[in-house]
Amino acid sequence: MSHVTRRQALGLFGALGMGAAVASCSGPGGAPAGPATGVAAPATGEITGEVSFAHWRGEDKEVFDELIKKFVAANPDVTATQNISTSNDYNAQGLQKLRGAAIGDAFASFRGSQFSNFTEAGLYTDLTGSTAASQYGTELLAAGKSGDLQLGLPYQVVFPMPLINLDIFDRAGADTAPKDWDGFLGTCEALMSAGVTPISWPGGDVGNGGQLFNCMIVNVAPAEDMCAQIEQGTLKCTDDWFIGMLEQYQQLIPFIQPNSTGTAVEPAQNLFTQGEAAMLATGSYHLAAVRGLGAEFPMELIFPNTSTSGTPKFEGVYNATFILGVNSGSDNQPAAMEWVNFLSDPENAGYYANETAQHVAVADVEYTNEDLQKLSPWLTRNTALAPRFQFNNLDVRNAVEASATAVIAGTSPEQAAAEAQQIVDERV
Amino acid sequence: MSVSIGGTKPATPAGGKAEHPPGKKRKSPTRVSPALYLFPLPAIAVTLVFLVMPTLQAFQYALTDWNGFSASFNYVGLDNFIRAFTGDSLFTNALANNLKFMLVVVIFQTALSLVLAMMLTRNSRGSVLLRALFFFPTILSSVSVAFIWKFIYDPNFGLANSTLDAVGLGALQSSYLGNDTQALYWVAVTQVWFHAGQMMVVYVAGLQGIPRELYEAAEIDGAGKWQQFKSITWPLVAPATAIVVAYTTIQSFKAFDLILGIAGNPPKASLDILSTRIYSSFANAEFGYAAAQSIIFMALIALVTWLQRRVLRLTQKQE
Repeated sequence: MSHVTRRQALGLFGALGMGAAVASCSGPGGAPAGPATGVAAPATGEITGEVSFAHWRGEDKEVFDELIKKFVAANPDVTATQNISTSNDYNAQGLQKLRGAAIGDAFASFRGSQFSNFTEAGLYTDLTGSTAASQYGTELLAAGKSGDLQLGLPYQVVFPMPLINLDIFDRAGADTAPKDWDGFLGTCEALMSAGVTPISWPGGDVGNGGQLFNCMIVNVAPAEDMCAQIEQGTLKCTDDWFIGMLEQYQQLIPFIQPNSTGTAVEPAQNLFTQGEAAMLATGSYHLAAVRGLGAEFPMELIFPNTSTSGTPKFEGVYNATFILGVNSGSDNQPAAMEWVNFLSDPENAGYYANETAQHVAVADVEYTNEDLQKLSPWLTRNTALAPRFQFNNLDVRNAVEASATAVIAGTSPEQAAAEAQQIVDERV
Repeated sequence: MSVSIGGTKPATPAGGKAEHPPGKKRKSPTRVSPALYLFPLPAIAVTLVFLVMPTLQAFQYALTDWNGFSASFNYVGLDNFIRAFTGDSLFTNALANNLKFMLVVVIFQTALSLVLAMMLTRNSRGSVLLRALFFFPTILSSVSVAFIWKFIYDPNFGLANSTLDAVGLGALQSSYLGNDTQALYWVAVTQVWFHAGQMMVVYVAGLQGIPRELYEAAEIDGAGKWQQFKSITWPLVAPATAIVVAYTTIQSFKAFDLILGIAGNPPKASLDILSTRIYSSFANAEFGYAAAQSIIFMALIALVTWLQRRVLRLTQKQE
């Protein structure tokens, strides 16, 4: 065998390194991804093979496991698995995980920036006119549309409005459906007079604490796409209407538990469950969690209506999320589509809804869960699609919502608005 | 296969390179079997694929406006770097937070670990037990530590406020992480609690290497405890201090999981540090900008560590 000198070996390794460097400079990206135009429908074919379902709802795993059993029983040549990430991870890394479809033949996405990014990355197939899409309420499908294409099917309907303890409200004689801002403050006064903290608010948790923002902004903003316009720079946080909303936040300070800006979501839930607070300012998606903590009292939703004059535009807010899609990179699209069809069947959607205590966007679902039955009238009220998810830039969203938290912490509305606007201006 | 290492190599004079007599032609380089060069290849391949290439790619991405998934992107020159320092108050806020956090943690963690080590240098049963106890937090996962402290700091049900209330100091109750001016320092307390035990072990090893005779001689010469510390302990524990300070600095910059565990994702501005800011930029589909931030982050750690070593060397030379 011939010999090589150290110098030759170093030269070889150097060349390898240079090769790697050149290879690494081949340009960002991996598999090229196309934009939403020209999106194809999922491939059709035999329902066989393995389906990976990627999502973030760890708390729903057992329910999905049961549904998978039923799905596999109906399609014996298929196996299905769940790939679950935490919501934070899914939000931050979902796109990287799903590209190439190593996981997530079928997947869920958040409404807002994640849906936009997934769309731009060409991750969806076109579900327009599919059997699954025909099962949904037409208006609720809007959150899964890109132009005329139905790329995703928003599965869950949640109401990001405060949950209320009806026993406490009855005892305090507090109005459960205030018509305007004065009415809502009156409700808070009545609750405080009854010796309870009116509002439990997890101000230390950006995601949950920000839900109240949906309610506070919808009836005072000059446009329904106010958050999109803030992001684009056509509306500003320093506008009078926005500062007026922050002043309304300021008026809530006496009614929120002390040190609320340091309160995480679990302690906020505990305050509510233990009857120390009359409202939990998060949303209907916490029904199951609160019941799980032992709450036995009847619950409802309340809309902190910020309108101060005339007829309010909206009676509440809702969000259509957990948007189901079929991965364009999947090599098993027929089975993935079948899984989405299966989930969208009213009977299966009803099972999911009743077991997880969440409404679904699928039409003709029978709600047997008592809490869902109680909240079902909200499905037909004049509610606004939660505006905080109009933000596509998460830094902008966080900055704008943080202005409300800053006001609760004691910053003046003007200063908080100016600080938020500075961050928005840097990103317009 | 012939292997020609060893036997054919000329002996090297102790402490120096092989010398070549003047006028004599240098020997041809040592020849070894090419098969031997295959052995480091796996390690080199791993380093290339997982370290060199991503690093080089980061430099390339930093010059683009790539969003992380588009097939197209534009080269933007140094715009991302300029933006970080002049047009992004969230980045400069995170940088300031990180420097504050580092300073507090380095000072208090180094001091605390040295004090603990000096108290527990002896290998008595009690000392060993206490060392194990102080070391214990190190073996916990950072996420567990974050959740433990999150509940300690909870203003409603947390241990901190409950304890203050129980001892009649209810007036000192705080919202801890909810107070923007204090939040970072409370996380620094957690970080020090988490890692001081680990650094204590480094110091214990350093202290046990100092000959007892030096202290005995100093005592005979009438040196007090402070003088002994100043003239013997501190200079001789310098290598351990260099390790502790460098390691603590890097830990402070990379307290990513602790911050996310305590503050959630995204952390609010008062708890945002460089690593969490970079993560937010990636999550925000700004891969080019995030890569530029990562390079600044890397350069900053290198600079701070180098400065610390210089300062430490200078102060210990003066001793």
